[in-house]
Amino acid sequence: MVDAAMTGVISAGMDSAKLKRMRRFRAGDATFRGLTLGAALLVLLLLGGVIISLIHGSIPALSTYGFGFLTTQSWNPVTEKFGAMAPIYGTIVTSFIALLIAVPVGIGIAIFLTELCPPWLKRPIGVAIELLAGIPSIIYGIWGLFVFAPFFQTNIQPYLISFFEPIPILNSFFAGPPYGIGILTAGFILAIMVLPFITSITRDVFDTVPAVLKEATYGLGCTTSEVVTKVVLPYTRVGVIGGVMLGLGRALGETMAVTFVIGNAHKISASIMAPGTTISASIANEFTEAVGDLYTSSLIALGLILFVITFFVLAAARLLLMRMNVKAGN
Amino acid sequence: MTQTAMNTAGMAEKISIRNLKFFYGDNLALKTINLPLYEKKVTAFIGPSGCGKSTLLRVLNRMYDLYPRQHAEGEVMFDGQNVLDPNQDRNMLRARVGMVFQKPTPFPMSIYENIAFGIRLYENLSRSEMDGRVEAALTRGALWKEVKDKLNSSGLSLSGGQQQRLCIARTIAVRPEVVLLDEPCSALDPISTAKIEELIDELTTEYTIAIVTHNMQQAARVSDYTAFMYLGELIEFDETTKIFTSPSDKRTQDYITGRFG
Repeated sequence: MVDAAMTGVISAGMDSAKLKRMRRFRAGDATFRGLTLGAALLVLLLLGGVIISLIHGSIPALSTYGFGFLTTQSWNPVTEKFGAMAPIYGTIVTSFIALLIAVPVGIGIAIFLTELCPPWLKRPIGVAIELLAGIPSIIYGIWGLFVFAPFFQTNIQPYLISFFEPIPILNSFFAGPPYGIGILTAGFILAIMVLPFITSITRDVFDTVPAVLKEATYGLGCTTSEVVTKVVLPYTRVGVIGGVMLGLGRALGETMAVTFVIGNAHKISASIMAPGTTISASIANEFTEAVGDLYTSSLIALGLILFVITFFVLAAARLLLMRMNVKAGN
Repeated sequence: MTQTAMNTAGMAEKISIRNLKFFYGDNLALKTINLPLYEKKVTAFIGPSGCGKSTLLRVLNRMYDLYPRQHAEGEVMFDGQNVLDPNQDRNMLRARVGMVFQKPTPFPMSIYENIAFGIRLYENLSRSEMDGRVEAALTRGALWKEVKDKLNSSGLSLSGGQQQRLCIARTIAVRPEVVLLDEPCSALDPISTAKIEELIDELTTEYTIAIVTHNMQQAARVSDYTAFMYLGELIEFDETTKIFTSPSDKRTQDYITGRFG
């Protein structure tokens, strides 16, 4: 071994006490290395374990229904006919609505806080956002069910329905009786829940823009809106997208609050005001009553699907970032 | 302030600073500055760190406005208008008074876009006209030859010296009347510094330039006038040759000979 030979040459002139100590150092180093490596491998092991147990648990359902599990709407425990399409649809649509609302509002708040806010107002708003992030989701759930949904039902939904009625395609999205609870309500609640994540991350990355870069932009005669759209956002786009993806991840997986307000109906309606369900809401609602292997296995398969969706969302975000970087010439 | 009789006959004052005081919060950073910037001349600001040189520069384009606890008193006349007037259109002012910073500040976009960005704020040009303007600005910034084949790569991919020349090109692309340079060479190697000094020399045919520098030789090389500042006061303002050969104030002499600062 070259390494050993080298040490031999180098240590030739050392006395034995020193050599001993060196050896002890080296042993300590190796232990430390092993410990950190073990900690890192543990992550892989856990991830692998979760994936394997999800796949293993969902084999009965997937082998019974095959690919049809993804495209079937019916979810009937009595006849044991299960399909995941309604929860998948609900998960994606509620998250989409949440982002549609939370991204512009969140980025808007972040811009206001970093570029426009008078100093005395900065702290109260910042603290309010942190607090909003700290509220447990069950509280959003009961608030959504007992306060927001009735208010939404009586004050906003009738207005939305009549507003969109004459508009051809959009009227089917906003049709039906105002239930209060439903996909749209869940989307709103999710928007409130992911808002603090998007806001605090975008605010933090906006703060990383060097003051001198902003000054240079102002120095050309730019207005604040030009500085934000042309320099601050492009400079921070990786972080902003990261914040949005974190919000999306939270929205996709959020269980409790959604279960309260979505209505838990295993069907796909054209109207976003109709009740629906999401993957996590279905699992949370039904795991206690899942008797029979096929029922349990179907719920686990739902979990696997959620896992895959989340994985693809993250992968898509990575891809998006890579393509943006190529376009920006880096 | 001691000011000997200068040969200023026939020279227009592009900017006249009168009784300017500047505050960081309650802290007085500039103590009653009176100073002219002559048209199409280079005025260098020298003095130890913290003496107010950069602060003075940042007053001239109201950059201090970005920070709530800073304010200025007095008068800064620029073509007959008071820059410090609260109703002054800051964006228009900054288009006429360009600024280059100590660290290069290329925007996160391509080289071409870095230049076109500023032009687009004020003018609506066709693609070919814009190409011409970008080329002209880069040529003026002594950068065209080095980047003409990679206009679409990121401005951040350039070396430090190139980035700084890009920033100068971007500033002059908007066709300002005054260019403020805040230690433009302090982060650069000697070759890039030499290029930028040449560039400053060429720019004086069209622009009024104010440059802050810690490099005495640089001030002597590039400027027509030199202002020596110390602890927020303007100690001496005179022709550069006069300042560097026979300054009237003891403190100026001590500083340029390196005895303090």
